[in-house]
Amino acid sequence: MAEFFATYGFLIVSMVLAAVLALSLYVPLMAGQLSLASPGFYALGGYITAVMSTKMLTYDSETFPIPFVLLEMLVAGLACGVLALIVGIPALRLRGIYLALATIAFVEIVRVLALNLEITGGAIGIFGIPQPFNTQIEYLWVAGPLLLITMLFVYRLERIRAGRAFLAIREDELAADAMGIDPTTNKVLAFTMGAILAGVVGALSAHFINTWNARQGTFDASIALLAFVLIGGSRTFLGPVVGGMALTALPEILRTLSGAGSLPAWLGEFMKDGRFIIFGVLLVIGTVFLPHGFIGPNLFSGSRGRKESRPLP
Amino acid sequence: MNEAITETVAEPAQTDETVILKVNQVSRRFGGLVAVNNVSFSVQEGEIFGLIGPNGAGKTTLFNVITGLIPASSGNLIYKGENITRRSPHRIASKGIARTFQNIRLFGNLTALENVMIARHVHGRAGILSGVFGLPAARNEERATQQRALELLNLVGLGNRADENARNFAYGDQRRVEIARALALDPTLLLLDEPAAGMNSNEKADLSQFIRELRHRFNLTIVLIEHHVPLVMGLCDRIAVLDFGLLIALGDPAKVQNDPGVIEAYLGAE
Repeated sequence: MAEFFATYGFLIVSMVLAAVLALSLYVPLMAGQLSLASPGFYALGGYITAVMSTKMLTYDSETFPIPFVLLEMLVAGLACGVLALIVGIPALRLRGIYLALATIAFVEIVRVLALNLEITGGAIGIFGIPQPFNTQIEYLWVAGPLLLITMLFVYRLERIRAGRAFLAIREDELAADAMGIDPTTNKVLAFTMGAILAGVVGALSAHFINTWNARQGTFDASIALLAFVLIGGSRTFLGPVVGGMALTALPEILRTLSGAGSLPAWLGEFMKDGRFIIFGVLLVIGTVFLPHGFIGPNLFSGSRGRKESRPLP
Repeated sequence: MNEAITETVAEPAQTDETVILKVNQVSRRFGGLVAVNNVSFSVQEGEIFGLIGPNGAGKTTLFNVITGLIPASSGNLIYKGENITRRSPHRIASKGIARTFQNIRLFGNLTALENVMIARHVHGRAGILSGVFGLPAARNEERATQQRALELLNLVGLGNRADENARNFAYGDQRRVEIARALALDPTLLLLDEPAAGMNSNEKADLSQFIRELRHRFNLTIVLIEHHVPLVMGLCDRIAVLDFGLLIALGDPAKVQNDPGVIEAYLGAE
């Protein structure tokens, strides 16, 4: 067991963090807003941790104190929340694909800034970020509760007044407006919650990855997160969680399989090196055959009793 | 033709206390098209006011202007003595003007119950955190919201289907859910855009009775757009007739029915 965790500790924690990041995309999507800004806030959160832990916080213990990690996550969450308000109020005037483009631009701006500013260490980035744990699997002590709390939060959100306002905007913004729901306020709120989540994950990831530079949280990550949500399912919070975990594990599974020996060499090679191709093919297949994602809203419809109609052929 | 009409349109003076909505020289232009052209009328508190006219007369556009979905190009709207002309739709809704849509706009992937509960939004106060943590106040509010929504669904006869997704309902039932949703706002002014569309004649007769009951029970003022002339004539206290964006007649059903301008608009000139 110890050996398993030693081997797969990094993967398991990565899966959990990916699930939270996927949820950071899902929350704005609840209000119908396709925002790909999460990686930008994720990068910012990471830099906050990197700077705080290497330059500002001092400690005597052998490992980096966990309360400091939580403090960094808090600061990152607040900073990302404030930035999201500043970015969101103008950006959320845009709709659909234009919002997606604007948020990609935001991610790009963050990347270019990180690459050129002194405080972010330029192209080299910040390395030697102190470790609060001795092994990577132990990060689960923070990442696990973070995921559980986030899941619980989103689950509850879909069932209360505030969350229903989001859903109403997703379904029909104009009708929601006519029913007394302020679309702008609620969209900015959803966007901000997603940004806070992404920032908090970034803050933890910087310790976890040990080094932080401008390659963290780029456009590639935007697309990966989008894939998590689309393939997992965008109509229930379990979709992004399952999608994030499964697609993070996929390359490792492919690598393990490719090393199994019984496969022809070219296939093994392809599974190892062509994982992005497989990723892309899955994305296409997923959106064509499972437009609502792998996890549909009906899978656990017991408590809500939703009955889904099938479109007529 | 318009010169002759202005006189028919002149109304007896109304005291301002009983006027709930004053439409004051409202126009709406879309490029070169004048969809609503300098329309003025007042809706009295407690009346059922019909808005009729041929297709493309500007009735729905006028509804959209009143509810803030489309800004007026000129003119103003006074609701309960307050100018609401440039207010956003959610502000207008929160002041007590609710509506249904001609081309039904329910939240299709949500249940009928959720649809109605959403319209209780302005009457709720629970924030995100108190809601997520299920604090007692938020919980009570949630329970009250749900109960109220169920009552309204029962009122429109769909209480037993509260958990079904709105888009699975038949056309006529979707209209009922829309009415329940509009009522959930606790409006004082209810705008119904073609409530009888897609109903058979029995249902239309029931609808008349139902709308009267609504007015009585919820103390409503109702403005409705309707094509079905017998329904409008039997139901409305007063009727305004629009044609090509112009108000061509205004008055009680008998007066409007015999108005030469109205006959011309509907049947064409002899």
